[in-house]
Amino acid sequence: MVTRLGGLALLVLLVVGCGDGGAAPGIELVFRHSRMPGENDPLPALLREFERDHPGVRVKHEPLPWTADVQHQFYVINLEGRTAGFDVLMLDVIWTAEFARAGWLLDLTDRWPAAERREHFEATVATAMLDGRVWAVPWVMNVGLLYYRRDLLAASAFAPPRSYDELASQARVVMERAAERRLGGFVWQGRQYEGLVVNILEELWGRGVELVGDDGRVLADLDGAAAALGFRRRLLTDGISPRLVTGADEEQTRREFGAGRAVFLRNWPYARKLFESPTSPIKGRVGIAALPGGGALGGAHLAINRATRYPDLAWQLVRVLTAPEAQRAIADAVGLHPTRPRLLEPDLQSIFRAARARPITPWYQTLSATIQPAFSAAITGVTPPRDALATARLQLEYFLQP
Amino acid sequence: MTSRAARTERRLAAALLVPALAVLAGVTLYPLAQAFILSFERRVPVFGIDEFVGLRHYAFLLRDPAFGNALRVTVIFTVASVALEVVVGTAAALALGTMRRWRAAGVGLLLLPWCLPGVVTARIFEWLYEPTGWLGIPGRALPALVVADVWRTMPFVALFAYARLISIPPSIGEAAAVDGAGRLATLRAITLPLLAPVLLTAALFRTLDALRAFDLMYVLTGGGPAATTETLTLYAYRHLFQTLQLGLGAAAAVLVLVVVGLVAWAHLHALEASEART
Repeated sequence: MVTRLGGLALLVLLVVGCGDGGAAPGIELVFRHSRMPGENDPLPALLREFERDHPGVRVKHEPLPWTADVQHQFYVINLEGRTAGFDVLMLDVIWTAEFARAGWLLDLTDRWPAAERREHFEATVATAMLDGRVWAVPWVMNVGLLYYRRDLLAASAFAPPRSYDELASQARVVMERAAERRLGGFVWQGRQYEGLVVNILEELWGRGVELVGDDGRVLADLDGAAAALGFRRRLLTDGISPRLVTGADEEQTRREFGAGRAVFLRNWPYARKLFESPTSPIKGRVGIAALPGGGALGGAHLAINRATRYPDLAWQLVRVLTAPEAQRAIADAVGLHPTRPRLLEPDLQSIFRAARARPITPWYQTLSATIQPAFSAAITGVTPPRDALATARLQLEYFLQP
Repeated sequence: MTSRAARTERRLAAALLVPALAVLAGVTLYPLAQAFILSFERRVPVFGIDEFVGLRHYAFLLRDPAFGNALRVTVIFTVASVALEVVVGTAAALALGTMRRWRAAGVGLLLLPWCLPGVVTARIFEWLYEPTGWLGIPGRALPALVVADVWRTMPFVALFAYARLISIPPSIGEAAAVDGAGRLATLRAITLPLLAPVLLTAALFRTLDALRAFDLMYVLTGGGPAATTETLTLYAYRHLFQTLQLGLGAAAAVLVLVVVGLVAWAHLHALEASEART
């Protein structure tokens, strides 16, 4: 494993070295980002515009590997080597604190006026900061939300639930009255991966429990967290959540709800368009609401590699790509949501405003990777919630020791 | 005179071996030594943490329930999948041996799963398993992965066995038939004993692979649900690449190496014993 890491680093160095050797005259900025979903990638047009305004500068944009895990690895290997293989980078909101602490990002505090920061949703700006300094600029935003079957809830005269307990009892009533035997109540992402952490965090927030306290202690309220996990376990044993949940990711749950087999779904906003497509069996029957306690914040920021040779130009590029016009263009073309309230569809605004950030800590990856098996063990009934959490806390004490 | 010539010869042989040994040492021993040294450190390069901790990582691993669990999962996965691969592979080889026509087509078909990259196999099984939900159910996920692994690597065992099978002179079987042995008796008394050394070798390769199983779990379950499919390699991966605790990950990798080494040693012993018998 160690040798593989070394080998990868070497390979990357070689590739980067070749790139520098063949540099064309003029300045070349390199922008690393993940592929835009769909077919109308808005980036080339935005970058051409930037090049027009900055004669002599060329922007090369290179897509990252497909999965978040591999993207993270890519960045760690490249940035740890302090190479200037790219200047501007897109990063997941949960990586900012880690990359900032590692010293890989350019401090943007003095470049980005505080007045402009206030244009963006507060929660997403918070994830771009660490220790009172700004390390990235919000680019696109995502928030977990509750999809519900408007027709089924209306038949029982229910309003969208405001707590998870209410959600469970509504689901039970609707399921009992439903003609469709296979109708599930609440589908969510329970596979052992980052998505599970997101779902459990939302459950914790709905009950006023914190995973990481203000003092930095992890799982200080073990009983509160255990109760929240126990609730999710009961959803499964009581049949309100179908069994597929413990192995499901976003797409699997989206298909289940999309086929008309569930009353409630927790997912990201992208699913909405698919539910309203002409061939969708539930077209026109889907409502959206904020999750009780708020949905988890996702999305991406743009940051600048501290090793860049062109910090000012890189900053100009970040400004252009995160400008209101660019965010609107991206939203129109591929449906990724802007980070400014005034650019957002009205019915999403309150949901986005209720968004909450996952714990903002340089150790987030460690925290998440350690707690995933514990959450999974609790919801599948392999380990009682309290024991699973106590084990995870012991492991984290060893990993996070100062 | 002859002894001096033999000595010179031996010395020349040793000298000629040196470059090869040096390369081997360079590519295996050096990284191994590095990993070993790393396992005594708490190193999180991302945050500039680098301190000597002695045996603390090993002490932690031995009491970490997740590591014990990974060891258990690895052993169960290895025993189950290798045993099934040997049985099914042998059966496939015997079936191939009795085919009069389409043998080449049979071999080609058999090779297909073996040729697919692991990640592609994983995706195929992801689609197959999705309607069942097995990958999310503790107690079903690991057997589901074993089935995928058997499907993928059984051809390896089958081809090993088939190659040996066609090299058995037909006269032996004919002699047995003349002596009045039935097909089952021939299989038990002649074919299987002749196949045994080859099967043991194939099983050794497969065991060493299975002990380091990674790609199927990585793609299909990420080690879940409830870490019931987290193998030792996945555990080491989690610390080396996700939590970036290089020292701890290295310690886990060293322990994987010890386990693999012990199993390889035991296997080689069994192989020697079986060769001594035949």
